[in-house]
Amino acid sequence: MKKYLAKRVVYLIIVFLVVSLMMFFVYNLIPSDPALVQLEPLRKALKPDEWQRQYLALRAQLGLDDPLIVRYARWMGFTKDIDGTFNGIFQGNFGYSLGYKRDVIDIIGAPMLNTTILNLLSTIITLMITIPLGIYCAVHAHSKADSGIQAATVVGYSLPTYLVGILFIYLFAVLIPAFPTGGAKTPGSTYVGLHEFADRMYYMALPIIVLVFTGLAGMTRTVRAAMLDTLSQDYIRTARAKGLREKVVIYSHAWRNALLPVSTSIMGWMIAVFTGGSLVIEQTFALNGTGKLYWIGLTTTDYELVLAMQMFYTLVSLIGVLLTDISYTLVDPRVRIDK
Amino acid sequence: MENNKKEFFLVRWIRRLIFPQKELDIYTEEQMQSPMRLVVKNYFSKPMSVISLIVFIIIALFVFIAPHFVYLDLGEQDSTLVNIAPGYNMLKYPKALEQNGVQDISVGNNYSIGVDKEGHVYVWGKSKVTKIIDLSKLPNDVQKADIVGVAAGADHALAYDKRGTIYAWGSDRLNQCTLPKELQQNNLSHTMKIAKIAASNQFSGVMTEDGRFFVWGNSNFVDFSYNAEEYDGHVVDFALTNNSFVLLLDDGRVVRGGEHASTTVQKVPEAAEKGVVALASTTNSVAALKDDGSIVMWGAYTKNENKIPKFSSKVVKLVGGRYHYTALLEDGTVVGWGDNKYKQTTVPEKLQGAEITALYAGSFQNYAVTADGNVTTWGLKGFPLGTDNLGRNVYSRLVNGGKMTMTIGALSVVIEIIIGVILGGIAGYFGGVVDMVVMRIAEVVSSMPFIPFAMILSAVMGTKVSIEQRMYIIMVILGILSWPGLCRLVRAQMFSQREMEYVVAAKALGVKESKIIFSHIIPNVMSVCLVTITLAFGTAMLTESTLSYLGFGVPLPTPTWGNMLTNANNSIIIQNYWWNWVFVGTIFGVACICINLIGDGLRDALDPKTSGR
Repeated sequence: MKKYLAKRVVYLIIVFLVVSLMMFFVYNLIPSDPALVQLEPLRKALKPDEWQRQYLALRAQLGLDDPLIVRYARWMGFTKDIDGTFNGIFQGNFGYSLGYKRDVIDIIGAPMLNTTILNLLSTIITLMITIPLGIYCAVHAHSKADSGIQAATVVGYSLPTYLVGILFIYLFAVLIPAFPTGGAKTPGSTYVGLHEFADRMYYMALPIIVLVFTGLAGMTRTVRAAMLDTLSQDYIRTARAKGLREKVVIYSHAWRNALLPVSTSIMGWMIAVFTGGSLVIEQTFALNGTGKLYWIGLTTTDYELVLAMQMFYTLVSLIGVLLTDISYTLVDPRVRIDK
Repeated sequence: MENNKKEFFLVRWIRRLIFPQKELDIYTEEQMQSPMRLVVKNYFSKPMSVISLIVFIIIALFVFIAPHFVYLDLGEQDSTLVNIAPGYNMLKYPKALEQNGVQDISVGNNYSIGVDKEGHVYVWGKSKVTKIIDLSKLPNDVQKADIVGVAAGADHALAYDKRGTIYAWGSDRLNQCTLPKELQQNNLSHTMKIAKIAASNQFSGVMTEDGRFFVWGNSNFVDFSYNAEEYDGHVVDFALTNNSFVLLLDDGRVVRGGEHASTTVQKVPEAAEKGVVALASTTNSVAALKDDGSIVMWGAYTKNENKIPKFSSKVVKLVGGRYHYTALLEDGTVVGWGDNKYKQTTVPEKLQGAEITALYAGSFQNYAVTADGNVTTWGLKGFPLGTDNLGRNVYSRLVNGGKMTMTIGALSVVIEIIIGVILGGIAGYFGGVVDMVVMRIAEVVSSMPFIPFAMILSAVMGTKVSIEQRMYIIMVILGILSWPGLCRLVRAQMFSQREMEYVVAAKALGVKESKIIFSHIIPNVMSVCLVTITLAFGTAMLTESTLSYLGFGVPLPTPTWGNMLTNANNSIIIQNYWWNWVFVGTIFGVACICINLIGDGLRDALDPKTSGR
């Protein structure tokens, strides 16, 4: 098992490097020139040839004329930076945001907390609903209740998240004004402690409901399909023939085996929600989260911020893959023995 | 079976679909029916699948055929047509008005006011200005009074009665409804009789029978100064444009209103300095009717208002709308010119030969009253699905946006199929190192977070290209990022297919490997991939719309279902202007649901377990 996990970790590191290299190249396709931006105010004050000399000097100083791969290595922190220190992603320097005029690492904290709370809560609630529901549907497959739930889930996962968001704002914030239409906390409020937490939860309730609603459909279908598959296996028939109680058959024979494909898709879904879903939901509800930050970075062409966020997203999805691998080893004994 | 061969194959298919063959017992069926027919039969045995297929085909046909008939004007924008509710009631005057005889009609922005010979006032059209202000809610004194004339402005309305009292209602935010002091006194003393009133965007004008002129409203927008000492007492007609006014004096001379402002309307040409008998105006131009029946025009022309047609006889009455003029000639014909986008210059044929007693125009509407008291209307009736926050027709955007969304979805799926099938085919057929490399690439691509990556690609690549190129870029991005799923499926299928006898036979015959993969195996695999492809189409449409919603898909003004919904990301629009998102959301949701149901139906139909064997 250790060997298997080690292999996976090495593989994921390679993937991370490849993706980060690709990201860096894509980022450098953007025609931007920090040296020009820095020197632009001096253009009027200096003579043209003097300005040109300074500009070229600054370019060299910033390392803009070096090959892309060298700049990539600097950015990652593999080689020494211009000033002679190791100062890259690995050393915790994620770059400088031109839009916020601060280090990216300083502005990323609060949004990250919001997004994490949002996603963790909605994931937990979704799983708490979908797993029992999916198992129920599989056990009572083709019954009336199952058909009804199936029809409902098709609707649920066909609708785009933002449409559900708009619909829910209309229903639960406009028609029945139970929740605020957007924002992260009461404007101008200075609550502390429990009160602040309650206020934050109040504002996060509707986004969480939307995320849970859109997540419900897909996950229920996955759980149901996996359970149906295992329930049709011969060993289930054997277990039933032995006279085991139905509960034991379902929960310890079938569900354990169904967990394997389910855990993969749970991870895949969580990653998709954490990256794409939160982007949409934060945009719809004007929440201050990583998705919103990423969106702002892209629309204001604050590319150093975007790059850092993109690396963060990649990291999140790779950690997700790693967690899937770990859960595999926990769920499936074969992985532990074989590799 | 013999006679079937003579039929055209399509006819045969349809006949078999509609009139099922006689029931075969299970063993003969296995032998007689091809697997594809079994799949089709399985699929069509489920009502849900059939319904979703039919609905989807209807939607697809609609969005691909309707754009040929529904013209999309990308530059469409009109501040007076903003956020209009769906419906065709702009020209639907109350029948009581016609029965009692029309005294006066005035057309405002998207609504009209009429008054009958008995002094009752009627309002029809989109009279709701804001959530609170509704112009059809007449003040009590207007309902009681004996009204003889009305005027409809952008968001306010005026009326006057026989004694000369002027009533104003609607929005008073810019003092549109606050009468000047002299008129307020006149409302009590009734010393002056009113000859003409008119209301425009944010201001109004009144002319009395003794030739005096009053103008009031938003003084920041319109310059109300004029040479009152010289002109008052001599005014016989006036015309209001969007932001200025001109006066006609009793010596047949047109003079400018507004001493300090300089709009094109205020530059009165020499030809209009004598012999003018009446004035008419559009939003930015003025037309003066001269005593010889000719017309002099000046101002700014945006929609061919100055292209005056040749008249068959003298013009006796001239009225103007937002961008068009309508004239009544001496021989009784009615002629319209200018903007004809909403058919406001296309005079109905039944007016030919009718004796017209009154002609009214305004905004995009026209009303003609004939001698027998009948009212004929032409022009803009309304919008089937309303307009959005820039005054664009939601229906035409919905239709054309659907075409865009579906095209992008389909083409990106084609790209996905090309990449996925080729790579999956090669990886599955050759296995070993090739397989390893392809699968690692697939893993890298699928481990990249989809939406953020698509956004950055779109932002990087789409900055300096035209809208059309950007559309193709979006398709390519979607295709490039979504192939791994299909690739894995094809690969898995290839693994099982490459050991089959027919592949061995092809190899033995010396068929080229590329030919074995792509013309022998792939066609056999495609039916299994059909489910994935169907669902991928739905996903591609969803992703495109999500990207457009976030502002990184197809840019405005080109409509897609996604960027039309961007509009709705605003609680005011969600609340008050529901037509901005309800129709698009519904058709898009239904289309996506149908695609997923079709995919599910196909999966069940292809799965041998579901047919009960």
